[in-house]
Amino acid sequence: MLRIEGLTAGYSAIPVLNGVSIKVEEGQFVAIVGPNGAGKTTLFKTISGIVRPSAGTIAFEGHDLLSIKPAQRAHLGIAHVPEGRQVFPSLTVMENLEMGAMTEAGRRDWKDNIQRIFEWLPILAERRGQFAGTLSGGQQQMLAIGRGLASSPKLLMLDEPSMGLAPTTADFIFERLIEIRRQSKLTILLVEQRVAEALESADHGYVLEAGRVALEGNNQTLRADDRIRKAYLGM
Amino acid sequence: MREWRSLLPIIIFTALYAALSLSVTNSYYQLVMTLVPVWAIFGLSWNLLSGYTGLISFGHAAFFGVGAYAVVLGQIHFDLSPWIMIPIAAVLGGIAGLLIGFPTFRLQGHYFALAMLAYPLAILYVFEWLGLQEVTLPIKRENAAAYMQFADHRLYTLLALAMMFATILLTRAVERSRFGMALLAIKQNEAAAEAAGINTLAWKLRAVTLSGAVAGAIGGFYAVVLLVVTPQSVFGMLVSAQALTVAMFGGVGTVWGPVIGSVILIPLAETLNAEAGSRFPGIQGVIYGLAIICVILLAPEGLFWKVRDFWRKRSAALVTASPGASDVPATAAPIPLHPKRSAGTGDIVLEVRNLSRSFGGLKAVQDVSFKLRQNEILGIIGPNGAGKTTLFNLLNGFLRPDTGQILLDGREMAGRKPHALCEAGIGRTFQIMRPFLRMSISDNVVVGAYVRAKTDDEARQLAADAIARVGLSGIADRIAGELTTKELRLMELARALAGQPRILLLDETLAGLGHDEANEVVEVIQRLARDGMTIAIIEHTMQAMVRLVDSFLVLDHGAVIVEGEPEAVTRDSRVIEAYLGKKWVAHAPH
Amino acid sequence: MTQALEGFLQALSAGLLIGAVYGLMCVGLGLIFGVMRVINFAQGDFMMLGMYAAFYFFTAFGVQAAFGNTIGPFVAIVLAGPVLAVFGYFVHLTLISRVSGTRTSSLEGEGHYAQLILTLGIALILQNGGLLVFGSVLASIRTPLSSSAWELGPMFNDISVFVNKARGIDAVLSLVTMILLTLMITRSRIGKSLRAAADNPTAATYMGIDVDRAHRIAFALGTGITAIAGGLLATNYPFHPFVGVEYVIVMYAGVVLGGMGSIIGAFWGGMTIGLVQQMSTLILPTQLQNAAIFVVFLLIVFFRPQGFFGRMVERT
Repeated sequence: MLRIEGLTAGYSAIPVLNGVSIKVEEGQFVAIVGPNGAGKTTLFKTISGIVRPSAGTIAFEGHDLLSIKPAQRAHLGIAHVPEGRQVFPSLTVMENLEMGAMTEAGRRDWKDNIQRIFEWLPILAERRGQFAGTLSGGQQQMLAIGRGLASSPKLLMLDEPSMGLAPTTADFIFERLIEIRRQSKLTILLVEQRVAEALESADHGYVLEAGRVALEGNNQTLRADDRIRKAYLGM
Repeated sequence: MREWRSLLPIIIFTALYAALSLSVTNSYYQLVMTLVPVWAIFGLSWNLLSGYTGLISFGHAAFFGVGAYAVVLGQIHFDLSPWIMIPIAAVLGGIAGLLIGFPTFRLQGHYFALAMLAYPLAILYVFEWLGLQEVTLPIKRENAAAYMQFADHRLYTLLALAMMFATILLTRAVERSRFGMALLAIKQNEAAAEAAGINTLAWKLRAVTLSGAVAGAIGGFYAVVLLVVTPQSVFGMLVSAQALTVAMFGGVGTVWGPVIGSVILIPLAETLNAEAGSRFPGIQGVIYGLAIICVILLAPEGLFWKVRDFWRKRSAALVTASPGASDVPATAAPIPLHPKRSAGTGDIVLEVRNLSRSFGGLKAVQDVSFKLRQNEILGIIGPNGAGKTTLFNLLNGFLRPDTGQILLDGREMAGRKPHALCEAGIGRTFQIMRPFLRMSISDNVVVGAYVRAKTDDEARQLAADAIARVGLSGIADRIAGELTTKELRLMELARALAGQPRILLLDETLAGLGHDEANEVVEVIQRLARDGMTIAIIEHTMQAMVRLVDSFLVLDHGAVIVEGEPEAVTRDSRVIEAYLGKKWVAHAPH
Repeated sequence: MTQALEGFLQALSAGLLIGAVYGLMCVGLGLIFGVMRVINFAQGDFMMLGMYAAFYFFTAFGVQAAFGNTIGPFVAIVLAGPVLAVFGYFVHLTLISRVSGTRTSSLEGEGHYAQLILTLGIALILQNGGLLVFGSVLASIRTPLSSSAWELGPMFNDISVFVNKARGIDAVLSLVTMILLTLMITRSRIGKSLRAAADNPTAATYMGIDVDRAHRIAFALGTGITAIAGGLLATNYPFHPFVGVEYVIVMYAGVVLGGMGSIIGAFWGGMTIGLVQQMSTLILPTQLQNAAIFVVFLLIVFFRPQGFFGRMVERT
């Protein structure tokens, strides 16, 4: 479904991604891990169009993504749950979800989607009239996920959903994610700091280091590899 | 000698202009010729503040008008000649600058611009209320020259030219001194300038005072030339806009800019006004408006820079650029694993005790304590959001700690302003660099030396030493815009070194460097430590860090979780947990 | 004593009436600033164009003939709004978008300075171009309503407050427009996407919202609204091509007072400015009315830059 080849991108003169190639098949759950500065968030930003790459290609369901304007990419079926939640603080929970459903598919499936979102994440139903800026970190994360789901996506990209959350909250969010995946058969691309959790649930994993893919494989092969620790800690 | 040579273009220009004005007989055109240098001077005064510091003032009419009214009222009520009043107008303009600058500099962005816009307009209303709608300079029949009233209007032009020449000399003197350099540093990156030891508020106040003085003086002269002053003609928005337009069109931050702008725009506007003014009233304003729009969209820094950059590019293409190798050997040889120095036994240079800082409910830094010894290199690491940059901001003075102490050589440092901390010996580099792209490495580095050097010559010497220490002496004259990322990082390092710090705080100095380049910079840092520098470094590139540092301080959620040597720290389960998550540690291979 | 009370009440009512119109004027600017974070120096001049548009609709394009003198002006004003909105849309498309929005979000601080200068240039062209096209003769939109008033009272102590009919209708129209705008912003999809784009342009793009288009709409809307407010003012005060300069500071004072980023705040800010202006005549000479506004503006900027409802503060 998503095919990235030789992607090179960065900010001003400083290159962050250096020839990254990643593949996500339909229905797969792919995890991307790696230390800070490795380029994980930059990768997502490039897929979404906020960052323009200097080299490489991104193909989504056969479309050349780079020739499509950033605001258009969501309409193709790519949902991006950004790092740090990034909810719309002065809009209510319900309005945030409505914003997620701005795509054609989102509007078409709104009735069904909103029901399922409220089932999976009941706290959103409870607080639907509350201003998103006043929610707790964990609640905002759930809202961000709900917002992503509201667009009826084909690909759901999550950038470090556990960041800044207490471990129990992060666990809960993860559980919900697994449940959602089980029921909806969505294709998921996840960037995570908590390596074990990410690799456990994923079909396939990539380890990004210094802008390159250092390792890839499935849970079994990667778990036993001390190179992951080395990638994070240097020795 | 070189000084006089570089003045030649200005001298020639002035001489030609004078000759031209002497030959013009039509009184209207003579007036235009007088006004060109007048507006050029006003533009230069605007430049002194806004061009160099980047703080755009929309209210320079305030100083201009104060000067104009001072001269006229001074003559009406006290019979003082403009020869005396114009210098007094300068003083008044300077005071106005100081009074306005002091509170207004605390504002940022939009608020500063709006406040500056408000001042002259407020004064305008007050003057109208005071009944000063129209004041005229009384004509003196006897002793006219003593009151700056000349029958031959060419004398006004010559006087204006003389004032312009003087202003140009003044501006150049400022530009080339530490005054100008400090202002430019503030424009590029105010935070970095503070961290480099520049007392930004003090310099901004000096700039606005000087700027106001020049504006006041020329406002006074303007009154003499036109004989009639109304609030609108000297405090109005068009007046402020004129200073801005003339300087921006010609070129900001350079002596030539306002002159070029004035020479082109004033005759254009005035001529159009004269020829078409009665049929097309307002044509002057439309021209200025168009000029501003074209400039900001096509050549945001002004004609001068656009042309100069263009020429530079052409001549650079013709001359093959000499490689001018930096002294750092481009080897890929592996660096020995942190050579054992006397780390751990030297004097304590920096001691941090129980440092804490929160933002709202979020504890960014919690109870952090550690010691830095002479010659030591400490690496500060931790997962995203661990509080590393906040810690540096606390050590550097950008943030006040809620509790805790920072002791440099035993002296309490917490709560002091960044430039004071730099003076005390804390140097810092930043992750996002903003060098003076059009200036040489030497000029970029010398800014860091002002905190330590008493004279400009001493500053240049300190800068040259710093440049040598990082190995860039071979290319010290190269323009920053042409440097590689590695060379820019080394230049940043040199700037921090030029202030002769006791300790260096390096913030992601290796970001954006390839493997070999990172190794080269690491070598330079190691050499600095060997020669007696104490260093704390934040970095994500762990591969290079483990070879560079003596020990690690690991932060997570704002608190210290482990401190120790790289070997031990990178295998410590708490550290692994912070980076890779609890579950990884539980099942990982050991 | 009674006279003083009567004078006070009269000033208060005048302040409220003009305040409602100032409020609408500030809302136009507040909308632009709130959504796009753009400082628009030319806002006062767009308002001036709105005044002239209403004037020409009324006198030259048949509105007076069709609707008569009493309600004609108000019809003309309502027509002027959309016309200026379209004008604003094109100004944004061709000029403002080059120095704002997603194109400049990567340039730190650079964008602000360019916006200020660009809109200053536009202001100069509009003012002086206006002088060229419309001439310097004072114009006004006359309605017989501006010379008659409703009498509230006599109340206690024989006090009456006179409400000028034209100003009363102005205030009502202002409030109506304000309510319509608020409904649009809070209820409609377009309004919500404007708010989303204002809150977090990056996340909005992730949702598939075209942030640049949202800015264009906000700019057009803001221009149209300020134009309507201008037209309403024009029924009471004569105007000329440079009238915009006088109101720019009023607008900014109102927006800053209400809190930059809040549309409702901008309305209350404008209302407050109107009250200050009218009530200052009780203690200051008339000519210093405007100076009083400046002083208030400077005070707010120094002591409470976030205003009453503000979300963002720009201070070192």
